[in-house]
Order: sequence, then C-alpha cells, then structure tokens
Amino acid sequence: METFILIGITGIGLGALYFLIASGLSLIYGLMGVLNFAHGSFLTVGAFVGFWVASKMGFETSMPEFILAMLVGGLAAGLFALLIEQLLITRLYERHIDQALVTVGVSLVVGAVLGGWFGNDLRMFPTPMWFLTAIDVGGAKIPADRIVYITTAILLLVGNWALLKFTRIGLIIRAGVENRNMVNALGINVRRAFSTVFFLGGFAAGVGGVLVSVYSNGVSPLIAGTYLIYGFIVVVIGGMGSVPGSFLAAMMIGVIRQFANYYATGLGDFVVVILLAVVLLIRPQGLLGKVRA
Amino acid sequence: MNALRISDLHVKINESHILHGVTFDVPAHKVTALLGRNGVGKSTTLKGILGLYPGTGSVQLNGREIIGVPTFKIVQAGIAYVPEDREIFSSLSVRENLALASRSKENGAAFATIFELFPELDTRATQIAGSLSGGQQQMVAIARALLNKNEVLLIDEPTKGLAPKLVTEVASALSKVANETTMLLVEQNLALVKRIAHHVVVMDQGRVVFQGGPENLNDPAWVHQMLGVSGGHK
Amino acid sequence: MLRWKYSRPLLALLLALLALAPILGANPLSRPGLQQTMAVAFIWGGLALTYDLLFGFTGLLSFGHALYFATGVYVSCILINHEVVVWWLAALISIAVSALLALLVGAASLRTTGITFAMVTLAFGEAGHVIIQRNFFNLTGGENGIALNADRIPSFFISVANTKFIYWAALAALIFTYAVIWWVTESSAGRVFAALRDNELRVQVLGLNTQRYKLLAFVISAALAALLGAVMLIAAGSAAPRFADAGVTISLLLMVVLGGAVTRWGAVIGGIFYSIATTRMQDLTQQESFKTIPKWIGGPIAEPALVLGLLFIFVVMFAPGGLSGAYYRLRLRAIIKKSQ
Repeated sequence: METFILIGITGIGLGALYFLIASGLSLIYGLMGVLNFAHGSFLTVGAFVGFWVASKMGFETSMPEFILAMLVGGLAAGLFALLIEQLLITRLYERHIDQALVTVGVSLVVGAVLGGWFGNDLRMFPTPMWFLTAIDVGGAKIPADRIVYITTAILLLVGNWALLKFTRIGLIIRAGVENRNMVNALGINVRRAFSTVFFLGGFAAGVGGVLVSVYSNGVSPLIAGTYLIYGFIVVVIGGMGSVPGSFLAAMMIGVIRQFANYYATGLGDFVVVILLAVVLLIRPQGLLGKVRA
Repeated sequence: MNALRISDLHVKINESHILHGVTFDVPAHKVTALLGRNGVGKSTTLKGILGLYPGTGSVQLNGREIIGVPTFKIVQAGIAYVPEDREIFSSLSVRENLALASRSKENGAAFATIFELFPELDTRATQIAGSLSGGQQQMVAIARALLNKNEVLLIDEPTKGLAPKLVTEVASALSKVANETTMLLVEQNLALVKRIAHHVVVMDQGRVVFQGGPENLNDPAWVHQMLGVSGGHK
Repeated sequence: MLRWKYSRPLLALLLALLALAPILGANPLSRPGLQQTMAVAFIWGGLALTYDLLFGFTGLLSFGHALYFATGVYVSCILINHEVVVWWLAALISIAVSALLALLVGAASLRTTGITFAMVTLAFGEAGHVIIQRNFFNLTGGENGIALNADRIPSFFISVANTKFIYWAALAALIFTYAVIWWVTESSAGRVFAALRDNELRVQVLGLNTQRYKLLAFVISAALAALLGAVMLIAAGSAAPRFADAGVTISLLLMVVLGGAVTRWGAVIGGIFYSIATTRMQDLTQQESFKTIPKWIGGPIAEPALVLGLLFIFVVMFAPGGLSGAYYRLRLRAIIKKSQ
C-alpha cells in the first residue's frame, strides 16, 4: 500500500512539473495558434537565471531565498518570452507554420548559447536542506521536494483561474481562445493579449525550469527537450487552450508514467506515447478541448 | 451627408475575386438595406468594410479613409458589427459577452437601454451563452453592438433562422434603434426591410446593380428580377 | 522558362565528376576523409528529399520521419548480424518492413490533419525511439546500439581504403531516390500531392480519395528513407538510437526549409549543406586558432546549432523560399532584365 501511495504522489509531483510547462503552451496555442517549440528554452532560461541567483546565496538556500530564485527565474523567462514574441512572432502574424518554425530556430540558438557558455554538464541547484527529507504520508515516505512541486502547480492553477475569470485581460483571452477574429471585430486589440499570454507562459515555464533542475539533480541545457515533448503531449491530451485540461492530463500522465516505470524501467515513456496516439485517434480535441472553429 | 462611402471595393479571398469594384453610399442616420441573392457578396462587403478581409479601393467613414486600417481600430472608430452567425462566445456568460463588448467604463446608461430592449438578457445575465436559444443568442449579438457610441451599425441577416415571433421581436428592436443611428443591414426578410429601410442597395455577382429608394420593393416584378424571389416575405 | 538552359548539362557534368573523382587521381575527393563526409552528406540530402515529399510537396508535417530511417538502419543491421539473409537482401527487407510500418502508421494517423497529425506522428516516432533505446526483445542493443558485423558484408565496404565504395553507394542511393521522387512528383499522382498541399477540400470535391494519395506519399517516402538508412548503416558501421530521435526529424525540417521546401533540388542541397556544415564546424572548433577566441563567443559558435538556428530564423523571417526560392527570384529578375 505504501508503495502505491509513494508512486501515486511522486507521479503527481512529476505531473506538477509537466503542468508548469504545459499551461503556457496550451494558452499560446489556444489563443494564438502558435506551436511554441521555444517553450523549452524558456524553461532553460528560467533554470539558469534562477541558478545564478541561488548560487549567490551559497551551497544551501533557505526557503525564502529559494522562492526568490524561482521568481527571478520566472521573471527572466517571462521577459525573454515577451522579447521573442515581439521580435519574431508578431512579424509572422497568422503564418502559423512559419511561427512554429521560427520557435524551433530559437530553441536551437538558446540551447547552443547556454551550452556554449556553461557547458552541458549538470550543476547542482542550491536548495533548502529540508527538500531532501521524507514526509510520512499514510506510511509512505514522500521526498519533500515533491510537495513543493505540487504546491507550486496548484498555486499556478488557481492564479491562472483567477486571472481568466476576474480580469479584463483574462476575459479577452478566454474569448480569444474561442474566436480571436470576433474579439478584433469588437474593437479589442487581441494582439495585446498575445503578449500577455507569452509572458505568463514564459514565467510559468521559468519557474518550472527551476523546479525541474531540482528534480533532475542539476541545471543543464539538455534537460528541457524531454519536458517540452511531454509538455506537448500533455497539452494535446488535455485539450488545446484548456488550462484545467492540461492540469488533469499532466497529473494523469505523471501517475501513469511512474506506475509503468515501476513495473518495467523504460515502460513509462512508451506507455505515454501510445496513450497519446490512442487519444488522438479517438478524440482528437483532447479531454477538455473544443473542436476549433 | 454620408456616414459611409464605399468606392471601387475589390476583395479577394484565397485567389477568388469576390467583390468587383463595389460602390455605394450609406446615408447618415438612415437605414440602408443591402440586398441580393445568396452568394453575391453581401456579407463579404460588410467584412471588407471592417477589414476582416483585405481589400483595395476606398472606404470612408465620415470622410476618413479606413481601408487598410486594422479591424479593431475601425471598430473603435465607431463601426459596430453583428455577424451573420452571431459569433457570440459560448463559453462566456451573457454578462461577460456584453462586458467584453463594452469599451467604456461609463456604460450604465447603455446597459439600461439594452436591457430595456431585451429584458431577457438581464434575467439571464449569468447564464452561459452557449446554452441560450438561437433567438436569445441573436439578442446578445445585437445588444453588444449597441453598447458603445457608434456611428454605423453593420448588421448581417439578424432574423436568419429565427421563429416568426422572434423575427417580430428583433424587427421591433431594430426599428427602435434605426431612428437614432446609421445602419447598413443585410437582410433577406423583405417585410422587415420594407418596414425600416430608407435606402436600398442591390448587389449581383460582386457588383452593385441598383441604388435608390425602397419604393421598388412594392413591385413584385422588380423584386423578382432583382432578387430572384417572390414579392412577399421569405 | 525559369530553368537556366545550361543547368541540366552542368548538373550531368557535376554528377559525372562526383562519380569519377575518387579514381581521377589527386583531388580532394580522392581522400577517404572527404569521401566519408560526402557519403554521409549524400545520405542526408536524400533523406531531406524524402521528407520534402511529405512536407514540401504534399503538405504533411510529420514529426516522426526518423522512425522509417531508423527502421532501415536497424532491420538491416539485425538481419545481417544474425546471419538471416545476405546483405543486399537484408537491405531490401528493411525497405519492405519500413513501407509496411508506414502503411499501418499512416492508415491510422492520416485520419487527422495539421497539428494533430504532427503530434500523432511524433508519438509513433518517439515510440519507436523508446523501443530502440530500451532494448526491447534484447534485439536493438539499447543506448549503445549495435555494431555491424563486418564479416557479413562484402569486403569492398570495409577498411578505410575502400571508403570510395561507400561513397559510391551513397551517391547511387541519392540519385536513385531523386529519380524516384522526380518520377512520382511529375506523375499525375504528384499533381494530386501538390493539390493536397494547397487545398485538400478542393481535391475531395473532385471525387478523389485524398486518404489514399496521402498514404501513397507517406509510404514512398518511408521506403526511400529506409533505403538511405541501410546505406547509412554501411557508412557508419553501426546502428545507433540517435538515428531514431525527434532531433533527426527536426534536422530534416531545417534542411528542407533552408534549401527551399517546394523544390526537389533545394531539399537535397539543404541536406548536403547541413550535413557538411555540422561536420566541418566540429572540425573547426578543434583548430588551434579557434582556441584563441574568447570563451563567451567561442563557446556558442562551437555548437553547430547556433549558426544553423540563426540561419533558420533568418530564412523563415526574410527568405521563406529558402535557397532555391532565392535562386528562382534572382533568375526571374535576370529574365525580366534580359527581356527589357
């Protein structure tokens, strides 16, 4: 039973990391129609900036210092995302394939620059010591860092919900995901919402980057690739443009992957990928997605 | 005095040349009906005015050239649009649909006016728009066009697919509005057109073939020739 | 009209020179080093062309093309190593297996379009990658791949001195691939592919079974990819998981866009250029003079992805037709100027 709980919760912890990447991807695609392959670079930028902040504090950080590193990393990633959107994406307005291709180019460049400056080896991310302790949940010993990931993901989900529900920009984003041409036809410059969505997506990915570095026992430009692929898988299964859908799908996939890996190492990736194919062939719009106009 | 002057408007959609030099005027504070058989380019003309399709030629709003201007700026300049398929946001509530459309904070009076025209929107304010009936959705679509100070209303087939009782309701709402504002109305329902139009423009195959008063609508032979329908309402 | 009247004779001359160079006495291509580089470049050129058939010609954005290439590499290797059949038959079987795989995957995934199709192909491609990496059935050698058993292939493919045979095999495979794709795209089926890219609805309205044509393009491109995979096996001497990962497909996308997605020769040039550039850049970083550049510039430049990524961004933003697009634009300008 304890094993069951352990695998379940670590699966949810992993799902939390996937969600941090996927939420931005989902809104960017849902609102703008852009397949953002540069999202992994936002993760990496956040990870490196957060690492730089954290390493100034010494080998070990206190919780407030760690949170500061996460926030600064997120902010840096968000600003970088905004830069990419303004410099490149807006110039290719409505040319969706070209937009996707340009983001591929960005991901290559960022990977090369960071890899060139810092090398591809893992560098330990300074964390509070208590991350390494185990918390007893129903007999299972859960590593404390998983709780941090889950809490962050829940905060993001709630924050996202609040933004979409209670602010004007949130209203514009929700309407735009459904029908961005009509939003324009109501006299609203929907492209301003694009920048917001890119920034927020970048921020979430940056925060995710810091947490992923903790989970992966180090910061490296090479880690982002797998998370980007999983991010896309989560977005597609959850439904493009639906953040709750991404949350649900992320949790599911995290748990399924952990269970599959428990039974046979390596089975996890395989099962997830087959699940993706199955979902796409049966319900192409995903769990909570809508068939786009 | 013309609120809108359209001159030599050409619109191409994916290589198909739909509008071939459309030219007509929309007099201010009057209702102009844009008529024609299905597929002649009436909806495309409205979309061309709004910049939803790129076009060449000239479209002037109160003397100001708006061709090539981004859609949202054209709308902000004072042109409101009620599209053919309503295109309300089905995942938002009625109130959210209206709030989205309202461009100014001082909109208490505007909201009061539309709730007077469409009381049901007030009672159903928190209902999700996707669950509304066709007629109610049409009310939302028209209401949100009335929320801001507009120079011109572009309305595309507001009574399409509505039950006769709703057609009457929409028609009376439109005639109330017609007295105070400039309207360019695409409509197949000739009874409605006869009731509120001051000015008629007929299109055929992407061109304007008639501009004038609504008197001819009473002549069944003219109606049959121009619009390919019998003289009564559809 | 757009084709320069000397382009075909010059091309024939170039091919003849390339074919004969290894035995023409002292020239750069008489050395095994460059022969190996060019052999790999030819393979990538051909592979880029097979990807172009899908993406540039038929408008199918696939993210799982590496799967079929890897099938060619691995199936050939396994069959040869386990002494199941003779080497050339192993290659043919790998092509058949790849075609069959494409038929099955295509039948399932082509029911979707656009982004969904891209994701489905990604899923199948990654599934293949995972199967190879995790050494299922203990056949695929896991992370390290499988070394090709040199006893089982003809001696003329082994040893550095015989690199020219690998070079010729690669060149022949490229020419064959080009010929097949040229024939397919010029045929009536090819016209349907182009029509599918532009407007699928219009093709359906004409009463044509779009599904069948898309599947045809899919299977042909997979079969040719496997052929090139078999040749790669001989050139690389081993089968490795890196032939199956998503990065391969991304590279192919880059090659096709850089060279120009709509033309055949553009894709080939894109592939050859990309392959040579990545190899050469790695050599460049080993040079002494390179080590004097300050690390903050030199570090990133050493990564081929930097220059390629920047070039890619530039092409997408400012020269979407790629190299061949630019060539034809210049050509058009020259023609217009000449007629004035």
